[in-house]
Amino acid sequence: MSEPETMDCGAAANRLYEYLDGELSPAAEAGVRAHLAACAHCFGLFDFETAYLRFLEARTRARGAPPHLRQRILDELLFDPEPPPRP
Amino acid sequence: MSQPVPPEREGFEREALAHLDAVYRTALRLTGNPAEAEDLAQETMLKAFRSWRQYQAGTNAKAWLLTILRNTFVNQYRRAKARPVTVDVTELEPFTVFQDVQDADPERTFFDRLVDGDVLRAIDRLPEDFRDVLVLSDIEGLTYAEIADVVGTPVGTVKSRLFRARQILQRALYDYAVEAGYITRRGAP
Repeated sequence: MSEPETMDCGAAANRLYEYLDGELSPAAEAGVRAHLAACAHCFGLFDFETAYLRFLEARTRARGAPPHLRQRILDELLFDPEPPPRP
Repeated sequence: MSQPVPPEREGFEREALAHLDAVYRTALRLTGNPAEAEDLAQETMLKAFRSWRQYQAGTNAKAWLLTILRNTFVNQYRRAKARPVTVDVTELEPFTVFQDVQDADPERTFFDRLVDGDVLRAIDRLPEDFRDVLVLSDIEGLTYAEIADVVGTPVGTVKSRLFRARQILQRALYDYAVEAGYITRRGAP
């Protein structure tokens, strides 16, 4: 297990989205977490950005494919002249 | 008369067609037009079906489908008619509105007042390269590596575009909320 990186506000802010997206190395992630525990300002920023990403997801995922599209595709596949060969 | 469903078709329905919502949603953001989005989604599914044999069980079907979708879009749909880009990225400073909101709206109620249409319109106005990575990440939940595969750029480029895309969008939504009177601009009387 590697030691957490030591970070100031700038270093933590640079890793903001990678941290929220779960894309950091364990050492860098532990470093951000340690900084957030010690810095109320950055904690507020990260908390706000977390809320922002949740808000984006909630406002954009409601709409799915119209029901007739699925049927249209199934019909087309059924009569597709190039069906995949059997494995 | 009912025909038996061949097993490969069944597998395709279960593993690929299950992602039709994601395929359609992404097609809608790329084309900006429901009729074109349906055609693009259908063509994507047909292409995927024809190369279903090459698909390895266990690989991410959603990322694979979105790769086919984007290639089809770039090669056939985008054509010469570029969609009007209404946001100039150089004019917008990519910076979090956190500080502004923290002072003017500590309860963050302005999020709640923006509806789906407001957010989708703002996404559609992002420049294409930025919009693509944001749609794949924040709407469809792909990882950086998967997005890099779909759009054909290095992971570092995905990272920087996503960073800017999120902050440009955030700034645009904030400005919209100010104009609509949902929030008072910081420093305003």
